[in-house]
Amino acid sequence: MSSALLDVDAIAKTFAGTTVLAPTSLRVEEGSFVSIVGPSGCGKSTLFNIIAGLLVPDSGGDVRVSGSSVLGLSGHVGYMLQKDLLVPWRTVEDNITMVARLTRRVSDDDRREARDIATRYGLGEFLNHYPKALSGGMRQRVAFMRTLVAHQPLLLLDEPFGALDAQTRLEMQSWLLNVWRETGRTVLFITHDVDESIFLSDRILVMSPRPGRVVADLPNTLARPRELDVLTDPQFIELKSTIMHLLHSRESA
Amino acid sequence: MKKTLRSVLIPLISIGIVGLIWQLVIVGFHVQPYVAPKPWDAVMAVIQNWGLLWPLVLGTIRETVYGFFFGAILGVVLGVVMSKLELIRRLVYPLLVLSQAVPIIALASPLVLILGFSVTPKIVIVAWIVFFPVTVNVVDGLTHVDQDLLNLARVYGASSWRTFTQIELPGISTPLFSGLKIGATYAVGGAIIAELVGSTGSSLAFYQEHASANLQTPAVYGTTLVMTVIGIGWFLLVAGVEMLLTPWQRRNVARRRRVARPAADQ
Ligand SMILES: Nc1ncnc2c1ncn2[C@@H]1O[C@H](COP(=O)(O)OP(=O)(O)OP(=O)(O)O)[C@@H](O)[C@H]1O
Ligand SMILES: [Mg+2]
Repeated sequence: MSSALLDVDAIAKTFAGTTVLAPTSLRVEEGSFVSIVGPSGCGKSTLFNIIAGLLVPDSGGDVRVSGSSVLGLSGHVGYMLQKDLLVPWRTVEDNITMVARLTRRVSDDDRREARDIATRYGLGEFLNHYPKALSGGMRQRVAFMRTLVAHQPLLLLDEPFGALDAQTRLEMQSWLLNVWRETGRTVLFITHDVDESIFLSDRILVMSPRPGRVVADLPNTLARPRELDVLTDPQFIELKSTIMHLLHSRESA
Repeated sequence: MKKTLRSVLIPLISIGIVGLIWQLVIVGFHVQPYVAPKPWDAVMAVIQNWGLLWPLVLGTIRETVYGFFFGAILGVVLGVVMSKLELIRRLVYPLLVLSQAVPIIALASPLVLILGFSVTPKIVIVAWIVFFPVTVNVVDGLTHVDQDLLNLARVYGASSWRTFTQIELPGISTPLFSGLKIGATYAVGGAIIAELVGSTGSSLAFYQEHASANLQTPAVYGTTLVMTVIGIGWFLLVAGVEMLLTPWQRRNVARRRRVARPAADQ
Protein backbone atom coordinates (compact mmCIF):
# COMPACT_ATOMS: atom_id res chain seq x y z
CA MET A 1 0.00 0.00 0.00
CA SER A 2 2.82 2.39 0.74
CA SER A 3 4.13 2.35 -2.83
CA ALA A 4 1.23 4.41 -4.20
CA LEU A 5 2.60 6.96 -6.67
CA LEU A 6 -0.58 9.03 -6.44
CA ASP A 7 -2.64 9.30 -3.29
CA VAL A 8 -5.81 11.39 -3.49
CA ASP A 9 -7.22 11.80 -0.01
CA ALA A 10 -10.78 13.09 0.51
CA ILE A 11 -10.68 15.70 -2.25
CA ALA A 12 -13.90 17.66 -2.77
CA LYS A 13 -14.81 20.62 -4.95
CA THR A 14 -17.68 23.07 -4.79
CA PHE A 15 -18.30 25.67 -7.49
CA ALA A 16 -20.47 28.56 -6.33
CA GLY A 17 -22.47 26.46 -3.90
CA THR A 18 -22.78 23.41 -6.17
CA THR A 19 -20.81 20.39 -5.04
CA VAL A 20 -19.28 18.90 -8.15
CA LEU A 21 -16.99 16.43 -6.48
CA ALA A 22 -17.95 14.72 -3.21
CA PRO A 23 -14.99 13.81 -0.99
CA THR A 24 -13.08 11.39 -3.20
CA SER A 25 -10.12 9.19 -2.38
CA LEU A 26 -8.09 6.99 -4.67
CA ARG A 27 -4.62 5.53 -4.94
CA VAL A 28 -2.64 4.66 -8.02
CA GLU A 29 0.26 2.22 -7.72
CA GLU A 30 3.49 2.96 -9.52
CA GLY A 31 3.59 1.51 -13.03
CA SER A 32 -0.12 0.73 -13.19
CA PHE A 33 -2.76 1.80 -15.69
CA VAL A 34 -5.96 2.95 -13.99
CA SER A 35 -9.09 4.14 -15.78
CA ILE A 36 -11.90 6.33 -14.50
CA VAL A 37 -15.36 5.99 -16.03
CA GLY A 38 -18.36 8.02 -15.03
CA PRO A 39 -21.28 9.99 -16.43
CA SER A 40 -20.69 13.34 -18.07
CA GLY A 41 -20.38 16.19 -15.58
CA CYS A 42 -19.52 13.99 -12.59
CA GLY A 43 -16.30 15.88 -11.99
CA LYS A 44 -13.66 13.74 -13.71
CA SER A 45 -11.89 16.63 -15.40
CA THR A 46 -12.28 18.65 -12.21
CA LEU A 47 -10.47 15.89 -10.32
CA PHE A 48 -7.65 15.93 -12.87
CA ASN A 49 -7.41 19.71 -12.70
CA ILE A 50 -7.01 19.47 -8.94
CA ILE A 51 -4.34 16.76 -9.17
CA ALA A 52 -2.44 18.80 -11.78
CA GLY A 53 -2.61 21.96 -9.67
CA LEU A 54 -4.91 23.99 -11.93
CA LEU A 55 -7.69 24.07 -9.34
CA VAL A 56 -7.63 24.37 -5.58
CA PRO A 57 -9.95 21.85 -3.89
CA ASP A 58 -12.21 22.58 -0.93
CA SER A 59 -10.26 22.55 2.29
CA GLY A 60 -9.75 19.29 4.10
CA GLY A 61 -8.33 16.97 1.46
CA ASP A 62 -4.84 16.35 0.19
CA VAL A 63 -3.12 15.14 -2.97
CA ARG A 64 0.23 13.39 -2.60
CA VAL A 65 2.58 12.36 -5.38
CA SER A 66 5.39 10.01 -4.29
CA GLY A 67 4.42 10.72 -0.70
CA SER A 68 4.62 14.53 -0.68
CA SER A 69 1.71 16.92 -0.84
CA VAL A 70 1.36 18.78 -4.14
CA LEU A 71 -1.67 20.92 -3.34
CA GLY A 72 -1.34 24.31 -4.98
CA LEU A 73 1.84 23.26 -6.80
CA SER A 74 2.43 22.60 -10.50
CA GLY A 75 4.93 20.75 -12.62
CA HIS A 76 4.53 17.30 -11.02
CA VAL A 77 2.41 15.47 -13.63
CA GLY A 78 2.21 15.04 -17.37
CA TYR A 79 -1.31 16.16 -18.24
CA MET A 80 -3.05 15.67 -21.55
CA LEU A 81 -6.17 17.78 -21.52
CA GLN A 82 -9.45 16.85 -23.16
CA LYS A 83 -8.51 18.69 -26.37
CA ASP A 84 -5.21 17.98 -28.14
CA LEU A 85 -4.06 21.59 -27.60
CA LEU A 86 -1.18 21.69 -30.03
CA VAL A 87 0.04 25.19 -30.74
CA PRO A 88 -0.70 25.97 -34.40
CA TRP A 89 2.46 28.06 -34.81
CA ARG A 90 4.86 25.26 -33.95
CA THR A 91 5.87 22.25 -35.99
CA VAL A 92 5.43 18.70 -34.70
CA GLU A 93 8.99 18.67 -33.39
CA ASP A 94 8.57 22.03 -31.67
CA ASN A 95 5.23 21.02 -30.21
CA ILE A 96 6.81 17.95 -28.66
CA THR A 97 9.48 20.14 -27.04
CA MET A 98 6.83 22.64 -25.89
CA VAL A 99 7.10 21.69 -22.23
CA ALA A 100 10.83 22.41 -22.26
CA ARG A 101 10.11 25.62 -24.15
CA LEU A 102 7.69 26.69 -21.44
CA THR A 103 10.12 26.16 -18.60
CA ARG A 104 13.66 26.69 -19.86
CA ARG A 105 15.84 26.96 -22.95
CA VAL A 106 15.32 24.14 -25.41
CA SER A 107 18.55 22.18 -25.74
CA ASP A 108 19.85 20.05 -28.59
CA ASP A 109 19.14 17.05 -26.38
CA ASP A 110 15.48 18.07 -26.11
CA ARG A 111 15.26 18.31 -29.88
CA ARG A 112 17.02 15.01 -30.38
CA GLU A 113 14.71 13.31 -27.92
CA ALA A 114 11.68 14.76 -29.69
CA ARG A 115 12.94 13.55 -33.06
CA ASP A 116 13.74 10.11 -31.66
CA ILE A 117 10.40 9.61 -30.01
CA ALA A 118 8.48 10.90 -33.03
CA THR A 119 10.43 8.56 -35.28
CA ARG A 120 10.03 5.56 -32.97
CA TYR A 121 6.28 6.05 -32.71
CA GLY A 122 5.54 6.66 -36.35
CA LEU A 123 5.65 10.42 -36.89
CA GLY A 124 9.22 10.73 -38.17
CA GLU A 125 8.14 12.00 -41.58
CA PHE A 126 6.02 14.74 -40.05
CA LEU A 127 8.57 16.48 -37.82
CA ASN A 128 8.42 19.70 -39.83
CA HIS A 129 4.66 19.70 -40.35
CA TYR A 130 2.38 22.19 -38.69
CA PRO A 131 -0.50 20.65 -36.69
CA LYS A 132 -3.16 21.75 -39.17
CA ALA A 133 -1.66 19.35 -41.71
CA LEU A 134 -2.13 16.34 -39.40
CA SER A 135 -5.06 13.96 -38.94
CA GLY A 136 -6.89 13.77 -35.62
CA GLY A 137 -5.08 10.60 -34.59
CA MET A 138 -1.70 12.08 -35.43
CA ARG A 139 -2.47 15.20 -33.44
CA GLN A 140 -3.37 13.09 -30.42
CA ARG A 141 -0.11 11.19 -30.77
CA VAL A 142 1.87 14.42 -30.89
CA ALA A 143 0.04 15.71 -27.82
CA PHE A 144 0.81 12.44 -26.06
CA MET A 145 4.50 12.60 -27.00
CA ARG A 146 4.62 16.13 -25.63
CA THR A 147 3.18 14.74 -22.39
CA LEU A 148 5.75 11.93 -22.36
CA VAL A 149 8.82 14.14 -22.76
CA ALA A 150 7.75 16.18 -19.74
CA HIS A 151 9.46 13.29 -17.92
CA GLN A 152 6.88 12.95 -15.18
CA PRO A 153 6.27 9.43 -13.85
CA LEU A 154 2.53 10.10 -13.56
CA LEU A 155 0.47 10.80 -16.69
CA LEU A 156 -3.09 12.12 -16.53
CA LEU A 157 -4.95 11.48 -19.78
CA ASP A 158 -8.39 13.06 -20.08
CA GLU A 159 -10.39 11.29 -22.80
CA PRO A 160 -7.51 11.48 -25.26
CA PHE A 161 -9.29 9.43 -27.92
CA GLY A 162 -12.81 10.76 -27.37
CA ALA A 163 -12.94 12.67 -30.64
CA LEU A 164 -11.54 9.91 -32.87
CA ASP A 165 -13.43 7.50 -35.11
CA ALA A 166 -13.76 3.88 -33.97
CA GLN A 167 -11.04 2.51 -36.25
CA THR A 168 -8.44 5.15 -35.33
CA ARG A 169 -9.37 4.79 -31.68
CA LEU A 170 -8.57 1.06 -31.73
CA GLU A 171 -5.20 1.76 -33.34
CA MET A 172 -4.46 4.44 -30.79
CA GLN A 173 -5.35 2.15 -27.89
CA SER A 174 -2.88 -0.52 -29.05
CA TRP A 175 -0.34 2.19 -29.67
CA LEU A 176 -0.82 3.64 -26.19
CA LEU A 177 -0.46 0.22 -24.52
CA ASN A 178 2.73 -0.28 -26.46
CA VAL A 179 4.18 3.04 -25.36
CA TRP A 180 3.06 2.48 -21.78
CA ARG A 181 4.81 -0.89 -21.69
CA GLU A 182 8.00 0.51 -23.18
CA THR A 183 8.23 3.63 -21.05
CA GLY A 184 7.05 2.23 -17.71
CA ARG A 185 4.93 5.23 -16.80
CA THR A 186 1.95 5.31 -14.49
CA VAL A 187 -1.30 6.28 -16.22
CA LEU A 188 -4.58 7.62 -14.90
CA PHE A 189 -7.01 7.62 -17.80
CA ILE A 190 -10.49 9.16 -18.14
CA THR A 191 -12.86 7.68 -20.70
CA HIS A 192 -16.56 7.36 -21.53
CA ASP A 193 -15.90 4.16 -23.41
CA VAL A 194 -16.27 1.11 -21.15
CA ASP A 195 -14.60 -1.22 -23.68
CA GLU A 196 -11.66 1.13 -23.84
CA SER A 197 -11.32 1.24 -20.06
CA ILE A 198 -11.27 -2.57 -19.83
CA PHE A 199 -8.96 -3.06 -22.78
CA LEU A 200 -6.37 -0.69 -21.36
CA SER A 201 -6.36 -0.85 -17.59
CA ASP A 202 -5.33 -2.82 -14.54
CA ARG A 203 -8.09 -1.20 -12.50
CA ILE A 204 -11.28 0.63 -13.30
CA LEU A 205 -12.76 3.26 -11.00
CA VAL A 206 -16.46 3.91 -11.54
CA MET A 207 -17.79 7.31 -10.49
CA SER A 208 -21.32 8.34 -9.54
CA PRO A 209 -23.20 11.21 -11.20
CA ARG A 210 -22.65 14.68 -9.79
CA PRO A 211 -21.59 15.13 -7.05
CA GLY A 212 -19.04 12.57 -8.21
CA ARG A 213 -17.31 10.05 -6.01
CA VAL A 214 -15.75 6.64 -6.62
CA VAL A 215 -18.46 4.00 -6.18
CA ALA A 216 -16.50 0.97 -7.33
CA ASP A 217 -12.85 0.01 -7.70
CA LEU A 218 -12.71 -2.99 -10.01
CA PRO A 219 -9.52 -4.95 -10.64
CA ASN A 220 -9.03 -6.22 -14.18
CA THR A 221 -6.94 -9.38 -14.31
CA LEU A 222 -7.14 -10.01 -18.06
CA ALA A 223 -3.72 -11.21 -19.15
CA ARG A 224 -1.37 -8.85 -20.99
CA PRO A 225 -0.37 -8.23 -23.69
CA ARG A 226 -3.96 -7.90 -24.82
CA GLU A 227 -5.02 -8.32 -28.40
CA LEU A 228 -8.33 -7.25 -29.86
CA ASP A 229 -9.81 -10.72 -29.24
CA VAL A 230 -10.08 -9.99 -25.49
CA LEU A 231 -13.19 -8.05 -26.44
CA THR A 232 -15.01 -11.39 -26.65
CA ASP A 233 -13.36 -12.95 -23.60
CA PRO A 234 -15.97 -14.04 -20.96
CA GLN A 235 -14.04 -12.22 -18.25
CA PHE A 236 -14.17 -9.06 -20.36
CA ILE A 237 -17.88 -9.38 -20.89
CA GLU A 238 -18.55 -9.96 -17.24
CA LEU A 239 -16.54 -6.93 -16.21
CA LYS A 240 -18.30 -4.87 -18.83
CA SER A 241 -21.72 -5.83 -17.59
CA THR A 242 -20.71 -5.01 -14.00
CA ILE A 243 -19.56 -1.53 -15.05
CA MET A 244 -22.58 -0.94 -17.27
CA HIS A 245 -24.84 -1.94 -14.42
CA LEU A 246 -23.10 0.44 -12.01
CA LEU A 247 -23.25 3.32 -14.46
CA HIS A 248 -26.80 2.66 -15.47
CA SER A 249 -28.41 2.06 -12.10
CA ARG A 250 -26.75 5.21 -10.83
CA GLU A 251 -27.92 7.27 -13.75
CA SER A 252 -31.55 6.24 -13.39
CA ALA A 253 -31.47 6.57 -9.60
CA MET B 1 5.45 30.20 -58.74
CA LYS B 2 2.17 30.29 -60.63
CA LYS B 3 0.50 31.38 -57.41
CA THR B 4 2.93 34.28 -56.87
CA LEU B 5 2.43 35.38 -60.46
CA ARG B 6 -1.33 35.37 -59.98
CA SER B 7 -1.15 37.26 -56.71
CA VAL B 8 0.77 40.02 -58.48
CA LEU B 9 -1.19 39.95 -61.72
CA ILE B 10 -4.70 40.19 -60.30
CA PRO B 11 -4.14 43.39 -58.26
CA LEU B 12 -2.42 44.91 -61.32
CA ILE B 13 -5.47 44.11 -63.41
CA SER B 14 -7.81 45.75 -60.91
CA ILE B 15 -5.63 48.86 -60.86
CA GLY B 16 -5.68 48.80 -64.66
CA ILE B 17 -9.47 48.71 -64.60
CA VAL B 18 -9.62 51.78 -62.36
CA GLY B 19 -7.29 53.59 -64.77
CA LEU B 20 -9.48 52.56 -67.68
CA ILE B 21 -12.67 53.84 -66.01
CA TRP B 22 -10.90 57.10 -65.22
CA GLN B 23 -9.87 57.45 -68.86
CA LEU B 24 -13.39 56.63 -70.10
CA VAL B 25 -15.01 59.17 -67.75
CA ILE B 26 -12.65 61.94 -68.90
CA VAL B 27 -13.22 61.19 -72.56
CA GLY B 28 -16.91 60.24 -72.33
CA PHE B 29 -18.05 63.28 -70.33
CA HIS B 30 -15.65 65.71 -72.03
CA VAL B 31 -14.08 66.67 -68.71
CA GLN B 32 -11.94 69.78 -69.12
CA PRO B 33 -8.17 69.22 -68.59
CA TYR B 34 -8.04 71.87 -65.83
CA VAL B 35 -10.67 69.89 -63.85
CA ALA B 36 -9.11 66.45 -64.20
CA PRO B 37 -6.35 65.05 -66.40
CA LYS B 38 -6.24 61.76 -68.20
CA PRO B 39 -4.51 59.15 -66.02
CA TRP B 40 -1.45 59.02 -68.22
CA ASP B 41 -1.02 62.81 -68.06
CA ALA B 42 -1.04 62.60 -64.26
CA VAL B 43 1.62 59.90 -64.38
CA MET B 44 3.67 61.99 -66.82
CA ALA B 45 3.47 64.99 -64.50
CA VAL B 46 5.03 62.84 -61.81
CA ILE B 47 7.79 61.51 -64.07
CA GLN B 48 8.69 64.95 -65.44
CA ASN B 49 8.93 66.50 -61.97
CA TRP B 50 10.54 63.49 -60.33
CA GLY B 51 13.74 65.35 -59.45
CA LEU B 52 11.69 67.85 -57.49
CA LEU B 53 9.32 65.27 -56.02
CA TRP B 54 11.76 62.64 -54.86
CA PRO B 55 13.13 64.49 -51.80
CA LEU B 56 9.56 65.34 -50.80
CA VAL B 57 8.54 61.70 -51.19
CA LEU B 58 11.47 60.68 -49.02
CA GLY B 59 10.34 63.18 -46.39
CA THR B 60 6.82 61.77 -46.32
CA ILE B 61 8.14 58.21 -46.16
CA ARG B 62 10.38 59.15 -43.27
CA GLU B 63 7.49 60.68 -41.29
CA THR B 64 5.33 57.67 -42.06
CA VAL B 65 7.92 55.08 -41.10
CA TYR B 66 9.09 56.75 -37.87
CA GLY B 67 5.53 57.53 -36.84
CA PHE B 68 4.44 53.99 -37.64
CA PHE B 69 7.19 52.45 -35.53
CA PHE B 70 6.60 54.69 -32.53
CA GLY B 71 2.86 54.15 -32.85
CA ALA B 72 3.21 50.38 -33.22
CA ILE B 73 5.54 50.03 -30.24
CA LEU B 74 3.36 52.28 -28.10
CA GLY B 75 0.30 50.36 -29.27
CA VAL B 76 1.71 46.96 -28.36
CA VAL B 77 3.08 48.06 -24.98
CA LEU B 78 -0.15 49.83 -24.06
CA GLY B 79 -2.20 46.86 -25.24
CA VAL B 80 -0.18 44.41 -23.16
CA VAL B 81 -0.26 46.60 -20.05
CA MET B 82 -3.99 47.22 -20.43
CA SER B 83 -4.80 43.55 -20.84
CA LYS B 84 -2.72 42.56 -17.82
CA LEU B 85 -3.83 45.30 -15.43
CA GLU B 86 -7.57 45.71 -15.05
CA LEU B 87 -7.26 49.10 -13.33
CA ILE B 88 -5.07 50.54 -16.09
CA ARG B 89 -7.49 49.21 -18.69
CA ARG B 90 -10.41 51.01 -17.07
CA LEU B 91 -8.43 54.19 -16.65
CA VAL B 92 -7.00 54.28 -20.14
CA TYR B 93 -9.84 53.01 -22.34
CA PRO B 94 -11.89 56.24 -22.20
CA LEU B 95 -8.77 58.26 -22.97
CA LEU B 96 -8.06 55.99 -25.90
CA VAL B 97 -11.46 56.64 -27.42
CA LEU B 98 -11.13 60.33 -26.63
CA SER B 99 -7.79 60.48 -28.43
CA GLN B 100 -9.35 59.19 -31.63
CA ALA B 101 -12.43 61.40 -31.36
CA VAL B 102 -10.25 64.51 -31.75
CA PRO B 103 -10.15 65.39 -35.45
CA ILE B 104 -6.59 64.91 -36.63
CA ILE B 105 -6.53 68.23 -38.42
CA ALA B 106 -7.55 69.98 -35.21
CA LEU B 107 -4.74 68.20 -33.44
CA ALA B 108 -2.09 69.23 -35.92
CA SER B 109 -2.15 72.97 -35.23
CA PRO B 110 -1.65 72.78 -31.47
CA LEU B 111 1.06 70.19 -31.98
CA VAL B 112 2.90 72.50 -34.34
CA LEU B 113 2.61 75.28 -31.75
CA ILE B 114 4.10 72.97 -29.15
CA LEU B 115 6.74 71.21 -31.22
CA GLY B 116 7.50 73.76 -33.93
CA PHE B 117 7.79 73.38 -37.71
CA SER B 118 9.92 70.28 -37.57
CA VAL B 119 9.46 66.65 -38.44
CA THR B 120 8.47 65.85 -34.83
CA PRO B 121 4.79 66.90 -34.89
CA LYS B 122 4.32 64.87 -38.08
CA ILE B 123 5.78 61.76 -36.47
CA VAL B 124 3.60 62.33 -33.42
CA ILE B 125 0.46 62.57 -35.55
CA VAL B 126 1.26 59.41 -37.48
CA ALA B 127 1.98 57.57 -34.24
CA TRP B 128 -1.27 58.96 -32.82
CA ILE B 129 -3.20 57.37 -35.67
CA VAL B 130 -1.29 54.09 -35.75
CA PHE B 131 -1.29 53.16 -32.07
CA PHE B 132 -5.06 53.00 -31.69
CA PRO B 133 -5.97 50.02 -33.91
CA VAL B 134 -2.87 48.22 -32.62
CA THR B 135 -3.79 48.70 -28.96
CA VAL B 136 -7.42 47.73 -29.46
CA ASN B 137 -6.46 44.56 -31.34
CA VAL B 138 -3.76 43.57 -28.85
CA VAL B 139 -6.13 44.00 -25.89
CA ASP B 140 -8.82 42.05 -27.71
CA GLY B 141 -6.41 39.31 -28.74
CA LEU B 142 -4.85 38.90 -25.32
CA THR B 143 -8.20 38.68 -23.55
CA HIS B 144 -9.24 35.90 -25.93
CA VAL B 145 -6.18 33.65 -25.81
CA ASP B 146 -7.22 29.99 -25.53
CA GLN B 147 -7.71 29.39 -21.81
CA ASP B 148 -6.74 25.72 -22.18
CA LEU B 149 -3.39 26.67 -23.71
CA LEU B 150 -2.78 28.93 -20.72
CA ASN B 151 -3.71 26.00 -18.47
CA LEU B 152 -1.19 23.84 -20.29
CA ALA B 153 1.49 26.38 -19.43
CA ARG B 154 0.35 26.44 -15.80
CA VAL B 155 0.39 22.64 -15.48
CA TYR B 156 4.08 22.61 -16.30
CA GLY B 157 4.86 25.59 -14.09
CA ALA B 158 5.72 28.06 -16.85
CA SER B 159 6.71 31.56 -15.74
CA SER B 160 4.47 34.39 -16.85
CA TRP B 161 7.24 35.67 -19.13
CA ARG B 162 7.53 32.33 -20.93
CA THR B 163 3.77 31.99 -21.07
CA PHE B 164 3.71 35.40 -22.72
CA THR B 165 6.41 34.71 -25.30
CA GLN B 166 5.46 31.10 -26.06
CA ILE B 167 1.66 31.18 -25.91
CA GLU B 168 0.18 34.67 -25.77
CA LEU B 169 2.32 36.61 -28.21
CA PRO B 170 2.23 34.09 -31.07
CA GLY B 171 -1.43 33.50 -30.24
CA ILE B 172 -2.35 37.11 -31.06
CA SER B 173 -0.37 37.37 -34.30
CA THR B 174 -3.51 37.63 -36.43
CA PRO B 175 -5.23 40.49 -34.55
CA LEU B 176 -1.87 42.20 -33.99
CA PHE B 177 -1.07 42.28 -37.70
CA SER B 178 -4.64 43.33 -38.51
CA GLY B 179 -4.07 46.35 -36.28
CA LEU B 180 -0.70 47.05 -37.84
CA LYS B 181 -2.12 46.83 -41.36
CA ILE B 182 -4.96 49.22 -40.51
CA GLY B 183 -2.37 51.55 -38.98
CA ALA B 184 -0.15 51.24 -42.05
CA THR B 185 -3.02 52.22 -44.32
CA TYR B 186 -3.86 55.35 -42.33
CA ALA B 187 -0.30 56.36 -41.55
CA VAL B 188 0.37 58.19 -44.83
CA GLY B 189 -2.91 60.08 -44.49
CA GLY B 190 -1.78 61.32 -41.10
CA ALA B 191 1.61 62.36 -42.43
CA ILE B 192 0.01 64.38 -45.25
CA ILE B 193 -2.40 66.19 -42.93
CA ALA B 194 0.51 67.05 -40.65
CA GLU B 195 2.51 68.33 -43.62
CA LEU B 196 -0.41 70.49 -44.69
CA VAL B 197 -0.60 72.21 -41.32
CA GLY B 198 2.95 72.21 -40.16
CA SER B 199 5.19 72.64 -43.15
CA THR B 200 7.17 75.65 -44.31
CA GLY B 201 7.20 74.66 -47.96
CA SER B 202 9.19 71.57 -48.74
CA SER B 203 6.65 68.78 -48.43
CA LEU B 204 4.47 66.65 -50.66
CA ALA B 205 1.29 68.22 -49.30
CA PHE B 206 2.61 71.71 -49.89
CA TYR B 207 3.77 70.79 -53.39
CA GLN B 208 0.21 69.72 -54.21
CA GLU B 209 -1.28 72.92 -52.79
CA HIS B 210 1.14 74.93 -54.84
CA ALA B 211 0.30 72.98 -58.01
CA SER B 212 -3.39 73.50 -57.31
CA ALA B 213 -3.00 77.23 -56.81
CA ASN B 214 -1.19 77.41 -60.16
CA LEU B 215 -3.81 75.30 -61.96
CA GLN B 216 -1.26 72.57 -62.74
CA THR B 217 -4.00 69.95 -62.70
CA PRO B 218 -1.93 66.94 -63.84
CA ALA B 219 0.60 67.63 -61.07
CA VAL B 220 -2.21 67.83 -58.47
CA TYR B 221 -3.53 64.43 -59.49
CA GLY B 222 -0.06 63.04 -59.93
CA THR B 223 0.81 63.96 -56.34
CA THR B 224 -2.33 62.17 -55.15
CA LEU B 225 -1.15 59.09 -57.02
CA VAL B 226 2.27 59.32 -55.39
CA MET B 227 0.76 59.58 -51.91
CA THR B 228 -1.44 56.57 -52.63
CA VAL B 229 1.49 54.54 -53.83
CA ILE B 230 3.41 55.33 -50.63
CA GLY B 231 0.41 54.11 -48.60
CA ILE B 232 0.04 50.92 -50.64
CA GLY B 233 3.76 50.25 -50.49
CA TRP B 234 3.84 50.59 -46.73
CA PHE B 235 0.80 48.34 -46.35
CA LEU B 236 2.41 45.70 -48.58
CA LEU B 237 5.62 45.85 -46.60
CA VAL B 238 3.77 45.23 -43.33
CA ALA B 239 1.75 42.43 -44.94
CA GLY B 240 5.02 40.95 -46.24
CA VAL B 241 6.55 41.00 -42.75
CA GLU B 242 3.44 39.25 -41.46
CA MET B 243 3.87 36.51 -44.07
CA LEU B 244 7.52 36.08 -43.09
CA LEU B 245 6.80 35.90 -39.38
CA THR B 246 3.73 33.67 -39.50
CA PRO B 247 4.64 30.85 -41.89
CA TRP B 248 2.15 28.49 -40.22
CA GLN B 249 -0.73 30.55 -41.64
CA ARG B 250 0.14 29.59 -45.21
CA ARG B 251 2.29 26.48 -45.10
CA ASN B 252 1.62 22.91 -44.07
CA VAL B 253 5.29 22.08 -43.66
CA ALA B 254 7.95 24.37 -42.22
CA ARG B 255 10.96 25.16 -44.34
CA ARG B 256 13.81 23.02 -43.07
CA ARG B 257 15.45 24.77 -40.20
CA ARG B 258 19.11 25.61 -40.60
CA VAL B 259 20.90 23.42 -38.09
CA ALA B 260 23.96 24.49 -36.14
CA ARG B 261 26.03 21.61 -37.51
CA PRO B 262 25.00 21.36 -41.16
CA ALA B 263 27.64 18.76 -42.01
CA ALA B 264 26.32 16.28 -39.47
CA ASP B 265 22.75 16.82 -40.57
CA GLN B 266 23.06 16.29 -44.32
N1 LIG C 1 -14.74 26.52 -13.32
C1 LIG C 1 -15.98 26.02 -13.11
N2 LIG C 1 -16.93 26.81 -12.56
C2 LIG C 1 -18.18 26.34 -12.34
N3 LIG C 1 -18.58 25.09 -12.64
C3 LIG C 1 -17.67 24.27 -13.19
C4 LIG C 1 -16.33 24.69 -13.45
N4 LIG C 1 -15.65 23.65 -14.01
C5 LIG C 1 -16.54 22.64 -14.08
N5 LIG C 1 -17.75 23.00 -13.58
C6 LIG C 1 -18.93 22.14 -13.48
O1 LIG C 1 -18.54 21.00 -12.77
C7 LIG C 1 -19.17 19.85 -13.29
C8 LIG C 1 -18.14 18.79 -13.57
O2 LIG C 1 -17.32 19.20 -14.62
P1 LIG C 1 -16.18 18.27 -15.21
O3 LIG C 1 -15.62 18.96 -16.39
O4 LIG C 1 -15.25 17.90 -14.12
O5 LIG C 1 -17.02 16.99 -15.64
P2 LIG C 1 -16.51 15.69 -16.39
O6 LIG C 1 -16.82 14.54 -15.51
O7 LIG C 1 -15.13 15.84 -16.86
O8 LIG C 1 -17.51 15.66 -17.64
P3 LIG C 1 -17.22 15.16 -19.14
O9 LIG C 1 -17.21 13.69 -19.07
O10 LIG C 1 -18.39 15.68 -19.89
O11 LIG C 1 -15.91 15.74 -19.57
C9 LIG C 1 -19.96 20.29 -14.52
O12 LIG C 1 -21.31 20.37 -14.17
C10 LIG C 1 -19.40 21.65 -14.82
O13 LIG C 1 -20.41 22.47 -15.35
MG1 LIG D 1 -14.21 16.12 -18.70
